[in-house]
Amino acid sequence: MKRSVRIGLLTALAITGAAFLLYGIFTGQAIAVLQKAIRVCLECIGIG
Amino acid sequence: MAKEKRVKGEWKRLTVQAAAFLLQNPKLHNFFLGTIDTGKTKVLCAPGLNCYSCPAAAGACPIGSLQSALTPRKPSFPFYVLGFLLLFGVLFGRWICSHVCPFGLVQDLVYKIPFPKKVRTFKGDRVLRLLKYAVLLVLVIALPLFDTLKPYFCKYLCPSGTLFGAIPLTLTNPMLRGQIGFLFWWKVGVLVTLLLLSLLIARPFCRYLCPLGAIYGLFNRFALLGLTCDASTCVNCGACETVCPMGIDPRTQFDSTECIRCGRCVRACPTGSLARRFGFRPDAHKKSTI
Repeated sequence: MKRSVRIGLLTALAITGAAFLLYGIFTGQAIAVLQKAIRVCLECIGIG
Repeated sequence: MAKEKRVKGEWKRLTVQAAAFLLQNPKLHNFFLGTIDTGKTKVLCAPGLNCYSCPAAAGACPIGSLQSALTPRKPSFPFYVLGFLLLFGVLFGRWICSHVCPFGLVQDLVYKIPFPKKVRTFKGDRVLRLLKYAVLLVLVIALPLFDTLKPYFCKYLCPSGTLFGAIPLTLTNPMLRGQIGFLFWWKVGVLVTLLLLSLLIARPFCRYLCPLGAIYGLFNRFALLGLTCDASTCVNCGACETVCPMGIDPRTQFDSTECIRCGRCVRACPTGSLARRFGFRPDAHKKSTI
């Protein structure tokens, strides 16, 4: 892969990732992740 | 008894893996309390397959969170989790599998146990590797979208959740132990099968089933952290291929989605033709034409 293409792709994906992350925080998705993570996930442990 | 081919400096990676395990799972005392951590750090996704129901976990599992975001009553595009996956992917690619993932560490340790035969690759190995993409598309994305409130991957397949979450929690929490049924034993069966396979073949879960490895593998070609091979100095001794735990040929497949960037090939290379690359600087070596 050409270096310039690699740099372009990396930069675009990194910016998209950061934008997704920020948008997720502002729309309450981060809180939803926290709420799921602090409860015992019964499915994960083969009970639910 | 066949043993894993020894490579100099392998202890360094094991140290990084152990440190990464402790960083992602610092609340070790919870293993004795039969409870999980409820701290605010769990708002962050862990880079590896680290079950959030592991008593010691201080972060959220990215695959569990992705399924959870796809299964609410009002489905939403999982921006937050995908943001983490994109950033981890562009920075490290599958380096996370070899250095950060707790279940990767377990498989590595089991593979170190001497066993009559160690298998590098076999007929059908390449086709079986495609299974992890099916697991990602079907169990992680498609089924949870259509059948709400069922995280299929976590529920039926994830061995990390069984080993680090189910077993310690049911051992120490009588209330949870009382609810054990067929599903629990199914998951224990999946875990035991994968651990037994790990005696014979390196990282069977990473090779064939891990949806997180499938995602990170897509970034391998252009991630900041990668590998290069200098065709002009390579003597084609095959040392790199012999030590590769993923059964690939690093001389020609150093950008493969299967490479976990463990660096065993770099350390085994007698001429220094294989090297790590990092960042935007020009590759240390010209791209391989072997």
